[in-house]
Formats: sequence, C-alpha cells, structure tokens
Amino acid sequence: MERRVALKSMAVAMGAMAGLPAWASGWSKGTLPKGRLLSADQSKNLAAIVEAIIPKTDTPGAGELGVGDFVQKMVKDCYDSKAQASLASGVSNVDEQSIQRFGKSFVDAGKDQKLQILQDIDKGSDASQKAFLGMVKNLTIQGYMTSEYVMTNITHYEMIPGRYHGCVPVKKG
Amino acid sequence: MANFNIDSKKARTYDAIVIGSGISGGWSAKELTEKGLKTLVLERGRDVQHIKDYPTTNMMPWEFAHRERLPKEITDANPIASRCYNFKESSAHFFAKDNEHPYVQEKPFDWIRGYQVGGKSLLWARQTQRWSKYDFEGPARDKFAVEWPIGYDDIAPWYSHVEKFAGITGNKDGIDTLPDGEFLAPHDLNCVEKYFKEQVGKQYKDRHIIIGRAAHITDPQQIHLDQGRAKCQHRVICERGCPFGGYFSSNSSTIPWAMKTGNLTMRPHSVVHSIIYDDKKQKATGVRVIDANTKQMMEFYADIIFVNAAALNSNLVLLNSTSSRFPNGLGNDSGVLGKYVAFHNYRASVSGEYEGFLDSTTDGKRPNSGYIPRFRNVYKQETDFLRGYAAGFGANRNTYSDRNGLGESLKSNLHETKYGNWSVGSHMMGETIPKESNYVALDKDLKDPFGIAQLKISVGYDDNDEKMIKDYVEQVSEMFTNAGFKNVKSHDGNRNPGNDIHEMGGVRMGKDPKTSMLNQWNQLHACKNVFVTDGACMTSTSTQNPSLTYMALSARAVDYAVKQMKAKNL
Ligand SMILES: Cc1cc2nc3c(=O)[nH]c(=O)nc-3n(C[C@H](O)[C@H](O)[C@H](O)COP(=O)(O)OP(=O)(O)OC[C@H]3O[C@@H](n4cnc5c(N)ncnc54)[C@H](O)[C@@H]3O)c2cc1C
Ligand code: SF4
Repeated sequence: MERRVALKSMAVAMGAMAGLPAWASGWSKGTLPKGRLLSADQSKNLAAIVEAIIPKTDTPGAGELGVGDFVQKMVKDCYDSKAQASLASGVSNVDEQSIQRFGKSFVDAGKDQKLQILQDIDKGSDASQKAFLGMVKNLTIQGYMTSEYVMTNITHYEMIPGRYHGCVPVKKG
Repeated sequence: MANFNIDSKKARTYDAIVIGSGISGGWSAKELTEKGLKTLVLERGRDVQHIKDYPTTNMMPWEFAHRERLPKEITDANPIASRCYNFKESSAHFFAKDNEHPYVQEKPFDWIRGYQVGGKSLLWARQTQRWSKYDFEGPARDKFAVEWPIGYDDIAPWYSHVEKFAGITGNKDGIDTLPDGEFLAPHDLNCVEKYFKEQVGKQYKDRHIIIGRAAHITDPQQIHLDQGRAKCQHRVICERGCPFGGYFSSNSSTIPWAMKTGNLTMRPHSVVHSIIYDDKKQKATGVRVIDANTKQMMEFYADIIFVNAAALNSNLVLLNSTSSRFPNGLGNDSGVLGKYVAFHNYRASVSGEYEGFLDSTTDGKRPNSGYIPRFRNVYKQETDFLRGYAAGFGANRNTYSDRNGLGESLKSNLHETKYGNWSVGSHMMGETIPKESNYVALDKDLKDPFGIAQLKISVGYDDNDEKMIKDYVEQVSEMFTNAGFKNVKSHDGNRNPGNDIHEMGGVRMGKDPKTSMLNQWNQLHACKNVFVTDGACMTSTSTQNPSLTYMALSARAVDYAVKQMKAKNL
C-alpha cells in the first residue's frame, strides 16, 4: 500500500495524470464517467447481478467493488450495438423473472433467490439470455480480478518486481 | 526590410539539419551535436519529454477504464494501428492515428507509425541483434538485390559504439551468425527455455537457442548514469515510456544528451515537405517545412542534412524533393528511388506445451525473450527458397483457475489458482527479398492534410515468403516435437506486410550509382551533403531486428560527414 501511494504521488508530482487523453483517463470507483447505457434502475439491477455472480463473503463482492459500473462501461465503450442491446434486455429480463417468480424486483430478492434465477438461466435453453449471462459473467470476473481491492489485497500485484528468476520452486499451496 | 530578411535567414541557418527524432534521428543528433555542430532536429509530431510526457507510466491496471482494451470508437477509427499488438489503452497516445495521416494501399500494408519526438523508440520491443557478415554478403552471394557497399567489419566498431551508450543486455554466445557485442549482464533463460536449448544443441549442430539481446540497462555503467538513466526495474510496461530510463529510447537517451551539448535545437510540429536543392551550388541548401500548427511553409538552411524520418517517410521526403536537376526526386538519377522495398515476415507462429518441470515456475518479469538465430541457408543453399528466418522463442508457466459456477462457489474457484503445464511458443522473423515491384511512390491525386502528396505503398508477399513460412513451421514444429513438447500447433496469423514494423529500403546503398541511391557512407551518390541513415538505406533486410543497425549506420555516417565537412568536401 505504502509503495502504491508513493507511486501515485510521484505521478501527480510529474504532472503525469494531467496530460491524459480523455479515453485513457484513470478509473476508480469514485471517478467513473457518468455516460451510461442503462437507466438508473437497470444499473442497480446490473450491480445486483454482478454481486450475485461474485458475492460478498469475508471479502467484498463484485457489487460493492463497483464492478457493475465497469461492466456497463465496457459494453458501452468497447462492444457493438448488438451486445449493448443484449445487456439492456438481459438486465430487464432478469428483473421480470424475479417479479414473476418472487413478486419482487431483482434488487430486492433474497440472496438465494437471485442466485437461483442466474443458475436457471445458465442451465436453461434461452440462448439469448445465456449469451447475456456469459458476457456479464466474463466481464464481472475480469472487473473483479483486476479491481484495486483484489489486486492489492488478494493477488498482490507488483508494479515493480525488479527481478526475473527463470526457475524457482512452485510454492505449495 | 532587406536586412530583416537576411537576419531571419541567418536565424534559420544551422550547421546540420536532422529530419525526424526517432531512433536513427536521435543518434544523428547526438553525434552531430557532440562534434560541435549547431543542429536543428525537425520533428513532425508533438514534443514528448522524458518522464514528464509519459501520462500512463505509473498507472495501476485497475486505473485503466477498459483494462487496456480500447473503446470501439478508437479501434474503428484506427483499423491499421489496431492491428499492432502494442496499440492499447496505455500506449495509444504514442501511435499516429490512421485517419489523421492517410496513405494509399495499392496492396494491403499496415504502416505503423509513431509521430512525436522519439518516434517509435518509445514503443519498440527493444530487441537489438547485430547483423553478421552473412547478412551483408547475402545479396552478392545469392544474387538478389545489389551488393552491399559495406561488410560486417566496416560497421562492427560502430555497433560497439552505440551498444555501449544505449545499454544492451545479452550473452556472449560465440555464434558466428549472430556476432557478440558490448553486453551488460544477460537476462535469465527459464528452466524450459534452457532445457530446449540443450535438446536443440544435442540434436542439431548449427541451431542455437539464446536469450535475446535487448536495449535494457541490467547493470548501469557510468555512461548510463551520466544520461540520467537507471537500472531496469522489470516492470515490463515499457511502451508507456519508462521513468527509470531502463530501456533505450531517444527521449531518455540520445535527445537529452544532445540537448546538454547546447548545440541542439528541437523543433516539434515541423512537417518536412522537401529538401531544397540549389542548381548553382549543386547541393542541398536546406529544407522546406510546414508548421503543423499554422500550416505555414517555412525554410531552414544547413550545410548537411540527415534524413531520418523512418524508412517510408524518408522515401516520401526524397520523392517530394524535386528540382530541375532532379525532376524525379532528390538524388534519383538511377530511377530506383522508392523501389526495392522489403520488410520482415512475422506471419507464422508455433505453440505447444511441456509437461516437465512441473515443480518449477518463474518469478518476476522479464522484458526480453529467447531467440533462435537464423540457421537456414547460412553456409550454403539448402532449400528451394532464398535466405532464411530467425525466430523468437519463449516458455512460461501460467496459472489458471476454474471459472465454473456462480456465487460463492465461483468466487472460491477464482481464488484457487493452479499451475498448468508450461506453454512454449515461437514466432518467425523472415527475411523478404527486395524487388523492384515492391515500391512506394507519390499518389498523383491524393494529398495529406498538409497538402503533401500521399504515399502510395505497393508491397506484398511472394512465393519465396510462402515457402519460407512452410519451412519455418516444419522446422520449429519438428524441434518442438523432438524436445518432447506436446500439443504442437502452428498458426498463420495472415498479418499484412508492414505489421512487423521493420519496413526497409527504397533509398538503398550500393556500389554503383546506376543501381543504388547511397554510397558506402549513406551519402546520396548524386547529392553529397544529404545522408539517409534509417531503414530506407537498407540494401537487404537480414532477419535480425534492424534498429541497432540504423543506430550504428547513423553514428558512422555522421563521423564521415563531419570529417568531410571539415575538409571542405561537402
Ligand atoms: C511495437 C513495436 C515494436 C518494435 N520492436 C522492435 C524491436 O524489437 N527491435 C527493433 O530493432 N525494432 C523494433 N521496432 C521498430 C523500430 O521502432 C524502428 O525500426 C525504429 O524506430 C526506426 O527508427 P527511425 O528513426 O527510422 O524511425 P522512428 O523511430 O519511427 O522515427 C521517425 C521520426 O520521424 C518523424 N517524421 C516522419 N516524417 C517526418 C517529416 N516529414 N518531417 C518531420 N519529421 C518526420 C516521425 O514523426 C518520427 O518521430 C518496433 C516498432 C514498434 C512500433
Ligand atoms: S521493464 Fe525496465 S525499461 Fe521497461 S518499464 Fe520496466 S523498468 Fe522500465
């Protein structure tokens, strides 16, 4: 953590962040640009979906880490209009299923109810819903594994290893 | 008023002008200014100052909004740059944008460019292998292209000269097809790479696996510290610009060095239009520049001119430099200007897995990889194609995790990483044969945003390349299989010519002014005070990465030019 803070302030001191082109600007949970693909309600649903995919345990889940916003931003900026439509309709569809089955919106459904809905999609026969879930799941995994929390606290990303050793024993598990 | 004009002309007069500030231009500028010449470097792009202008250099992975992927808007607008592996969220600002810098593809050609102070030296992969005598002797022996006017011995001291300053890591391998240089401590080959080296050594007497030679400072010498550069920290995000100066770039090395002499004037935003030839004086007197901001044409003057705009742009500048003496481009009495363009062929790759060394892995990161020097047709013609290929080789041990499930089971799966087999891979680096039919020319109608004729590129693969691809795949697959690698697969990426970013030729060196543009000193046969020392000058391409050779040729040509100038021969 210490080193990270030091690096960051080094970057600021060098005026580095200021010169960033708009599209390369840094992202953190707090600074996500507002341009969105989904409505506010749909965005909440998406956050609930990513949290159901990777939930809070003794460590934060994907929802809390802001991965919903990451998923939305990726699909909005990097994917084609077909994928964008699939994200919007998929989120609504999940919500409708929840209302039908449990009488409440997906965000308000219980943890197990949420998981049930997603598992049913995963095992079900609706190809477009499966494609939607596959896309969201992949992006959720990506956003979660590359989140600041996971990379600093769990996988211990090293910006500056300072070394390369070509043959070291595998650490036992 | 008359006085004013004279003064202004004086203010725009230098001893030397260098066109372009990339790898070769940076070296020309360093050598010229060190020898005391007031030197103007004209660079079409913006200024990029070491550290200060590396906006992404200290960003963490999670700070990239799209985790290094580029927004569709940008990839759609830049289909050519997007095919370069290194065009990504953290480095895209160092690439020229396709739509801003149009050219004509008579055949598909991916022209990858970096238009800024430092050129492509910020982006390059830093592999720096010397050429061998076999490479310089190739055309004469194999009867393609024209004979090189220089041999390995002419350039060897200049390789040493630039290696010591740039900082090159490597091993003294004692291989005559890939001469040793002035090396800093080598990077490690990992256990599987070493294993492969041993297997290949046992099975083939003329084939070698070595660690690549690369422009990284592994143990800084005084000369590197004097440049303000430090030991490479193995971050392996070099394409963002390195705050340590751990790898060689013009920005971290040659340009600040030249600046310190007090003899350098760097003028960014200066698009060189053409070189001015004076019929009466029978030499070049300066260059015409379009200021990229004001679009105004202006002139700068000097006694000697170094053309270092990167291979194809140097062709463009010369083709566009017409006069009554040279109606077809400066120095183009032979008519070969723009012709005999060649490149490297990186199309094929081979991959596999190794099930050994399962109790070992690697630690840290390595900005380099293994290298297989050319072994085909070196000492004699063995195949039905001319010349040969070098290859990259690397092994690594990846971890993976089970991505099945949803919810808590998925989460715990993701955090339970397991080691897979070692994966091994290789990619070819083939020599292509310079041919008259592979050429660049000025388009008759289309102009770029500065009103300069667009470059028309007509460069393609031929039968020789197809045969070479086939042989590379067969040989490397066989080497992999013999080493016990499993699941060996080959892949033809079908990349376009140019995508290797090693385009060369068009202003080739040669002994005979009737068939070449430059003499043995990179000097235009027909206009002695103009020197071309970037990839445009290459008579043939060899298989090794070319930039180290551009550096050495630049330093060598400056040494000659300054001696000639002092002797009043230019
Ligand atoms: C991703 C990548 C990986 C690479 N890997 C390697 C490698 O491992 N090993 C290797 O040897 N090479 C490698 N290269 C190639 C290497 O970068 C080039 O060979 C080298 O930069 C060429 O040097 P240069 O001086 O000719 O051109 P550049 O470095 O491109 O510089 C040319 C400069 O001239 C300027 N210019 C162009 N036209 C004009 C004009 N009309 N007026 C004014 N200025 C002009 C440009 O803006 C630019 O700054 C790689 C390149 C890339 C992009
Ligand atoms: S690998 Fe070395 S040169 Fe590249 S960014 Fe890291 S420290 Fe710099």
